[in-house]
Amino acid sequence: MGGLRPWARYGLLIVAHLLALGLGAAVLQALEGPPARQLQAQLRAELATFQAEYGACLPTGALEELLGTALAAQAHGISSLGNVSKAGNWDLPSALLFTASILTTTGYGHMAPLSAGGKAFCVVYAALGLPASLALVATLRHCLLPLLSCPVAWVAVRWQLTPARAALLQALGLGLLVAGIFVLLPALLLWGLQGDDSLLEAIYFCFGSLSTIGLGDLLPGRGRDLNPVLYHLGQIALLGYLLLGLLAVLLAVETFSELPQVRALVKFFGSSGPLTAEDQGGILGQDELALSTLPPSTAAPEQAPAC
Amino acid sequence: MERGLRGANAELGDEDDRGRAYLGQELPGPIPSNQSQARGIIHAYQTGDIALGNTTSMGRWEIVGSFFFSVSTITTIGYGNLSPHTMAARLFCIFFALVGIPLNLVVLNHLGHLMQQGVHGCARRLGGAWQDPAKARWLTGSGALLSGLLLFLLLPPLLFSHMEGWSYMEGFYFAFITLSTVGFGDYVIGMDPSRQYPLWYKNTVSLWILFGMAWLALIIKLILSLMETRGRSYSCYRHSSKGDFQPRSWRQGPEGEAERHSPRPGCYPEGPGGARPPSEPSAQDILDLSGVDSGTRGCAEHRAVSG
Repeated sequence: MGGLRPWARYGLLIVAHLLALGLGAAVLQALEGPPARQLQAQLRAELATFQAEYGACLPTGALEELLGTALAAQAHGISSLGNVSKAGNWDLPSALLFTASILTTTGYGHMAPLSAGGKAFCVVYAALGLPASLALVATLRHCLLPLLSCPVAWVAVRWQLTPARAALLQALGLGLLVAGIFVLLPALLLWGLQGDDSLLEAIYFCFGSLSTIGLGDLLPGRGRDLNPVLYHLGQIALLGYLLLGLLAVLLAVETFSELPQVRALVKFFGSSGPLTAEDQGGILGQDELALSTLPPSTAAPEQAPAC
Repeated sequence: MERGLRGANAELGDEDDRGRAYLGQELPGPIPSNQSQARGIIHAYQTGDIALGNTTSMGRWEIVGSFFFSVSTITTIGYGNLSPHTMAARLFCIFFALVGIPLNLVVLNHLGHLMQQGVHGCARRLGGAWQDPAKARWLTGSGALLSGLLLFLLLPPLLFSHMEGWSYMEGFYFAFITLSTVGFGDYVIGMDPSRQYPLWYKNTVSLWILFGMAWLALIIKLILSLMETRGRSYSCYRHSSKGDFQPRSWRQGPEGEAERHSPRPGCYPEGPGGARPPSEPSAQDILDLSGVDSGTRGCAEHRAVSG
């Protein structure tokens, strides 16, 4: 494996990437396809009975149009049925949560700007806010990482560990700590508070939020008739959780990425080759520029049969 | 259903009271039973299964939709137009993301690195021809920035407005929200059942996401490293003179070695041109920050190695 050219290794990584995507797609299709089709059939049956009962009173297509309108509004977070708090959608805690979801790039999508001005503001806000928050996180990291390595250094001295072992210990410890405090604990809390959802759903939600994927399908408290004060408190809590949790995850990932094993793995697959001096780098750069057209050509044939 | 989307936006705006009244007026017959049936349909829609009318392949858990979901998961965009409901699929998602997100980060990291090397190669050749390396570097840098802006943010909305029927501003909004991985999900490509999408369209969009994210992360990385270089280049000098090295060679950043030697001039105070080549580009802020931060230690480490 080590005898492969760097671009071949990178090409291998690209292929692995695409295979992972394909595997994910296949598994999800297998797991989600049948229940979705079942639900769809069920809904069509329900629609048919509705039409049969009241179809005479309704003009053709009126129901579909109405439901389409309601669903479209739902997609933007405006609930058209049931009891909704009169405070509206864009009160202060909700708006705060929305801006936090932009800055952390989570982007739940349960609320999205409708007006052109709102969309334009979102773009500008993200363009300015993302680098600013990254800079803030970098500064916080400068301060916090030395603090975190203190207890590990103490333990390393006590137990006579080598620096490599100490690094591994620190990474594992931090990873477990972050997983415990920021994924398990909030999930247990959510599970206890919500009651009817399973623990796995709560863990799935916490994981989705902290990894900034943010699917937004399981936001706690949505669609339930909650006391508005509690609901807003919950939103503020979620806001704090997002910000703190993401910071913790970034710290943990930073610690992991500095492990020699991880670095070796990344370097093996991603590095452009052996150590180069400034001028030699120029020649190598040209090689890689020419060869960088290789990965996309491996990408296209992979995707063609998928569609 | 999706046809009525934009019209529905215009109608409903953000007044949920009006939406409620609209629903109440339209449905004849016993309102409670109508509402409960409509509520059931809306709940089913909420849980992710579009049952009314036709859906495109992107909106179903078939191979294309699942593939797109996998892409949106491991890039952490997380649109949410499709989201898994079965426990098995959610569990699989968690592990898939745990493996896929780092894999994606490494791939994009190296892609950005290749782009950067290409830019540097151009700068070197131009600098050799003009006998003015600093100016050449500045020119190629801003040229890369502008061409990337054009290619990834300004031109794709034209394609989207042609294919999806969005306005240019909506297409730009979608492009920006996607590339920054926020991914609200209020705009998603390929979801309109009344339109025909050619085969190359979805593949092109996937490639655009890949390269665009690498470019955007590169830009953010460059900005951050520019900010850090000003402050650090002097403190680095101080470090080396104080002889303040900890035996923390294992804390050097990933893929550090190749560029660590070349910015030997970077350890000395740089002029306002910021001629020090930026640290390793990364796909996301995670590796992004580690590359930036390791510059400090790398500098000290380099002095330890050479001194």
